Amino acid sequence: MQPYQEEYIANLKDIAVLTARKKPESRTFEEYCEHLLRNKEQAEQKMKRNMELLRGELFPALDHIYEAGEEELRDLQDFAGNLLCGKEELDVGLFCQVHKALLNLARHKKDRSSMIRELYWLGMGYNNLCNKLAGLEKEESEKYTLQMRLCFTEAAAYLKYYAEIDDIETKGYILRSRANMSLGQFKNPSEKIHMVNRTQQILQDKYFQEKAPELPWDRFIYMTHQQMAASISYSKNKVMTSRDLALVMESVYTVYQKRLQEAAERNEQAPIRARFAYDALEYYCGLNNLDGLLTKMEALMDAADAELFTEESMYGIISLPAFYCQFLNDYPEKIGGRKEYIEDLYQKVIAYVEAFPEAEENEALFLYLRQLSYTFVETDNSISYKEFLRKLQIRFAPDIYAHSRIVGEAAAVFCQMIIEEEPDFFDDIDDIRAITDREEKKREIITFAKECGMLYDIGKINFMNLYSRTVRQWFEEEYEMAQLHTLVGEAWLSGRASTRRYADVALGHHFWYDASHGYPKAYKRLECQCRQVVDIIGLLDWINNVTDTARLYKGVEKTFEEAVEAAIALEGRRFSPLLTAWLRDKEVTERLRLAFERGRHEAYFDLYTENGDRLVKIN
Amino acid sequence: MENNHEHDRHLAELERMNAALEEALKAAEAANEAKSSFLSNMSHDIRTPMNAIIGMTSIALSHIDEKSRVQDCLLKIRTASTHLMSLVNDVLDMSRIDSGRLALNEESFSLADLIHDIAVIVRPQAIQKQQDLQIEIGQIYEENLIGDPLRLRQILVNIIGNAVKYTQEEGKILVRFAQRLVGSGTSEEGKQQDMVLLDFWCEDNGIGMDEEFLQKIFIPFERVNSSTISKIEGTGLGMAIVKNLVDRMGGSIDVESKEGMGSNFHIEMPMTVEVQSRKGLELPAGSSVLLVESLPHRVEMISDYLEEAGLEPVHKDSGLDVVTWLTEAQYENRMPCAMLLGQELEDMPVLELAAHVRQSAGPGFPILLVSEEDWAQIEYRAVRSGVDAFVPCPLFKSRLLETLSALLNGRRTEEGSAGAMDVDYSDYRILLVEDIELNQEIAVEMLSVTGVQVEVADNGAQAVEMFEASEQGYYDLVLMDIQMPVMDGYEATRRIRALSREDAGSIWIVAMTANAFVEDIRLSREAGMNEHCAKPIDPERLQDILRNRFNV
Repeated sequence: MQPYQEEYIANLKDIAVLTARKKPESRTFEEYCEHLLRNKEQAEQKMKRNMELLRGELFPALDHIYEAGEEELRDLQDFAGNLLCGKEELDVGLFCQVHKALLNLARHKKDRSSMIRELYWLGMGYNNLCNKLAGLEKEESEKYTLQMRLCFTEAAAYLKYYAEIDDIETKGYILRSRANMSLGQFKNPSEKIHMVNRTQQILQDKYFQEKAPELPWDRFIYMTHQQMAASISYSKNKVMTSRDLALVMESVYTVYQKRLQEAAERNEQAPIRARFAYDALEYYCGLNNLDGLLTKMEALMDAADAELFTEESMYGIISLPAFYCQFLNDYPEKIGGRKEYIEDLYQKVIAYVEAFPEAEENEALFLYLRQLSYTFVETDNSISYKEFLRKLQIRFAPDIYAHSRIVGEAAAVFCQMIIEEEPDFFDDIDDIRAITDREEKKREIITFAKECGMLYDIGKINFMNLYSRTVRQWFEEEYEMAQLHTLVGEAWLSGRASTRRYADVALGHHFWYDASHGYPKAYKRLECQCRQVVDIIGLLDWINNVTDTARLYKGVEKTFEEAVEAAIALEGRRFSPLLTAWLRDKEVTERLRLAFERGRHEAYFDLYTENGDRLVKIN
Repeated sequence: MENNHEHDRHLAELERMNAALEEALKAAEAANEAKSSFLSNMSHDIRTPMNAIIGMTSIALSHIDEKSRVQDCLLKIRTASTHLMSLVNDVLDMSRIDSGRLALNEESFSLADLIHDIAVIVRPQAIQKQQDLQIEIGQIYEENLIGDPLRLRQILVNIIGNAVKYTQEEGKILVRFAQRLVGSGTSEEGKQQDMVLLDFWCEDNGIGMDEEFLQKIFIPFERVNSSTISKIEGTGLGMAIVKNLVDRMGGSIDVESKEGMGSNFHIEMPMTVEVQSRKGLELPAGSSVLLVESLPHRVEMISDYLEEAGLEPVHKDSGLDVVTWLTEAQYENRMPCAMLLGQELEDMPVLELAAHVRQSAGPGFPILLVSEEDWAQIEYRAVRSGVDAFVPCPLFKSRLLETLSALLNGRRTEEGSAGAMDVDYSDYRILLVEDIELNQEIAVEMLSVTGVQVEVADNGAQAVEMFEASEQGYYDLVLMDIQMPVMDGYEATRRIRALSREDAGSIWIVAMTANAFVEDIRLSREAGMNEHCAKPIDPERLQDILRNRFNV
């Protein structure tokens, strides 16, 4: 790598450390805040430096890519390799940019090997992006899945010329691309099963093996069995052809046997994941009914050791319950007899996460918790979904929590001012209109505004790399992807009783008042009964963003007074004139400014005490 | 005796006259009743939209500061006014028919255009009700006809519109057109003319009509009397107008219907064929065309059309198969002469596939879209995805082959074989501002395939000088690099915009830079640039920019 590339990578690693939320240890609250601020300033310095490196070095290099020498191109590949290396993700957006440029160059030169390699890596970049869209409907995430699949398909098409390709590396890329075509969501399990099966046939074909004996064929084949086995863990479509079932059964058996053997060598039981795939298969084959499968899953979940902080335990305690709840969501009639079990299940999850050392730095744990979030089953006595999300935010997305808390505090103050002056202002909301007592109505709307603030940005949790872990300004594609947080938030909140009433705010807070701009299209302002609250949250979110959070990734920074002026300038277009009219009153803006300050203080105090509580528990 | 006879005769005559008078009175009363009922209906029907207009206007006035509220009111006012206008038009038409003042035009028209116009009018209403509206084309012998296209459209829109109106949400409506050859007829001037019989069917599974109403369907002012449709607006004049127009055109109209099951209208209309010299199609006989579509009836129809034109269709129904096939074809130098994208694919939206193929096959590969969607609605996305040309549905063979021929010949004349564009940009001039020589060469090469004239400036300062020295309107587009020695792209743009000449403010300036951050895009806009193109330049993106600018 070139020196600027090494410096960029080193900065990314430093930023990750500086932005990680550690325990307050023995610091006082003031010291804790001071410490956070210092880290934030240092991280920002490094981000600024990274921007300089990109503008001064990388972008000119991409600008000159057609005249770049071999060594320079190799450096670029190495650099990209460090940006996304296996599970370690430092900057996937930049990774895609570099590989797109290299692919363009390869196409321009008609260099087959480079084209195949770059298609593979770009596909891997898209795959990483697809993984962030879990919880969205297939239609919403389809664009990214297809971009990935089209890249892998094009690279895999060169399989026809396998024999005439000399280098092993390119052969490997073709085979891996072929296998990766089956990553991501499909319309139905059959499509996926057929695709994996075709890959298995290719990998087991002596013709291909003999031409590249150096390749790790056993590993390739085993991985396709894993892919096939994973496709059965949860499938909405229970009806499969007998041929599909036979194919999956064979793979599940292969994986199960191998895991069993490995476990026996270590004197352990077969891993939970393999046992679950085996049990699920029995269910899909009709050898067991859903009650039987759920009971077996309960046994597996109970067997997971809550004292161990291993991948195996994490899977058994958090990921498997996500599958369990998914079945219950699809067959709600099964919930009744399992309420107590579900309630205990969530208690166990929370206790486990509380006790997990350095939980916030564990990507797998966070992924499993996100899985559990979008399959969450809420019962009368279980922890509410609202509380579960709050805990998730505070622990794994503290910056998003702080931002939401601040906006919620300011929203409560703004709503209070409005309702005191105009008691009917929020009467489009049925629940609010039904309240006849003025004081009660005021209390209700203030609480509602505060809670909307707490939850409206929950969808950002899927895009942590873009928000609280951002390492530079966004690219256009990242900006587009970040917009999906509104849909993710709405999808999560609308599915449960305790959060349903906040879903519209999650959906509509980036939509412009005059509908000329903003997103997503799914939000219909005039049809939304809580549009006044959505407008308030949208306005305060924007003010907090341009004065604090978003200055880095969007390159906009304003003082509070400038932000207020800018909001007034957008009156009737981005923001409701009913709200901006209030901002013309100095007393109002002063109260809002104080609310923002108080919210910020309280948010960080929450983070301090939550972390402190945990520290006590761990000790 | 004679007197008695005389008396009886008078009495019988008197009785006959009385009976006739009674009948005339009854008819007059019935007509009067129908007209009274019509007036009463009309006054209600007119009052309803008028009330909406007045009510919405006052709501808009009381919320004048709330733009979206006002916008909402205006949209409702527009809907009500359009409805009011159609009521007035119906009444005027009926009055013209009654008084014999309705004259039919004799002009040549394209049946394809007429049917597409109708589809554009009726499809949105059907989409709104989530109805499955199919418009199918059977055997068409002659597309260029002579008649009154305006009145013909009125007839067909009225019938299909009724089908949409009186069919429940998610219902089905099937519209079919076909022709029969009927030999020749004689014109008013006594000339022999070829004739065809145009058949039109419209079948729905809507609310249908009972026997009693079916008898009165073509009588003015009658409407289906049912609670289901009490909210559906109309004068009851539509079908009477249709019947009169069909009669005047020498055609016939039949209707079959069953209450609760749906209706089936059939019109048979003799049409004069317009004698026209046919345009010769230049299609590369024997060449393959990649046909990408998963709807079997569409595949069959398009394949037939292509084969009849001497082309060889290669059919794929999934996007992944297309990518595999095209990658192999490209590698083996056996690319098809074009890709014809249909309505649906098994595994992905067609435009996602188009975007990938555009990247992999390059800017010179012709991509044609055949779609039921309204081109105006999808044009931006389709062009950005790399689609070169569009053929609307219902699909006419002539349309398909003419578009394909134009597309292929446009390319051939410009580049010999697989060229770049189906348009000629040689009348346009671009100022390319780029400091790196190799990048200049590549951009010029990419642009040259379009025929556009390119002048190059090595830095921002030179670009400002060249622009200032040029005549008004000399340049049509500026492609501006950002990071350059002497003067960067931002400053150069600001200086061009500040020049006191008319085109300084309007010239389209596109930033070309590898700086792809959201902030960079914002900065380039703030400097006065109109658009942003990421580097290294993607040929397709460049083509998009030219298409958007020069195909206005």
